[in-house]
Amino acid sequence: MAFAHSEAPAQRPVSAKIVVSGGFGVGKTTLVGSVSEIKPLRTEVAMTSAGLAVDDASKVSSKTTTTVAMDFGKLTVDTGLMLYLFGTPGQDRFGFMWEDVVQGALGAIVLVDTRRLDDCYAAVDFFESRGLPFVVACNHFDGGTLHDLEEIRSALDVPADIPIFMTDAREPRKVRDALLELLEHILTKIEPTTVMAPAPPPPPSSVAPSEPSFDPWRADQAVPTPSP
Amino acid sequence: MSDYHASQGTRHESFVRPYMITAGRTVGHAGDIPIETLVVGRLSNEGLSPDYAAVIDLCTTPLSVAEIAVYIQQPIGVARVLVADLTASSHVEQHGTAASEGAAIVRRLLDGIRSL
Repeated sequence: MAFAHSEAPAQRPVSAKIVVSGGFGVGKTTLVGSVSEIKPLRTEVAMTSAGLAVDDASKVSSKTTTTVAMDFGKLTVDTGLMLYLFGTPGQDRFGFMWEDVVQGALGAIVLVDTRRLDDCYAAVDFFESRGLPFVVACNHFDGGTLHDLEEIRSALDVPADIPIFMTDAREPRKVRDALLELLEHILTKIEPTTVMAPAPPPPPSSVAPSEPSFDPWRADQAVPTPSP
Repeated sequence: MSDYHASQGTRHESFVRPYMITAGRTVGHAGDIPIETLVVGRLSNEGLSPDYAAVIDLCTTPLSVAEIAVYIQQPIGVARVLVADLTASSHVEQHGTAASEGAAIVRRLLDGIRSL
């Protein structure tokens, strides 16, 4: 078969990944399906390392190889930018797959069933330990008890700077809002100083900032030394 | 692409085990390929074995490694190995992921999703 050799040299396509995590049956696939332009696809990931990051010995499976299903969807954000949403099982024994799914992810939505808060501890712990930006979205189930969001925050021991909000995984606009919450939160992590206000226009290149501040993420600068 | 989705329900079990397709290799350097990596075909599939040819056929437009795995009905690890081999032989090209693009890509996502 023949291929068109990129006659339209637009920008090179790029893909981004967001992880949706939470306990079994919390609505991860529903959430993904609400905004995905394809019906969520199910793929299988083989895991060979049981017992990784498992702190409860009673849960360690004797199996050393297992296969877990993972549902994902995608969303064309603009020409050449594809966003993938991966729903990951929340159980801690799936830690190995999480590594695989989380590698390169921009951030995560922890989807919470307020009736079963226990189910998402593993996800919160994992993302915190990995330093991956995340938000907590409480899926509003019909008939479910509505906890106060701050009660949920304290129950999950989630730091104050992490957004917690209600969502409805079945409702595309709510899921869209959840994605926007996450992306805003990711920006605060990437650029803590510039996100609250619109960035000022860049100064003329000839004018150097009088006191350049130290950026711990940059390697190409002198490390400030404490005064003697 | 809807024909692929339709075929998902009628998945047939293959006699060929995944490790046969990849000649026993599991991850190798293919582990460096994130599952959302977009892959696009560059050369024809002439002379390739069916498993490799199938990947090329799928990638007429950029498709993620995860989707490739679904459509060839194999675990992601197998899709990775096939994509790694096809990349090495220049049959396909891998595109970048957002991981290395920082705030600019997050803003682009914000703008794009807000306007949906």
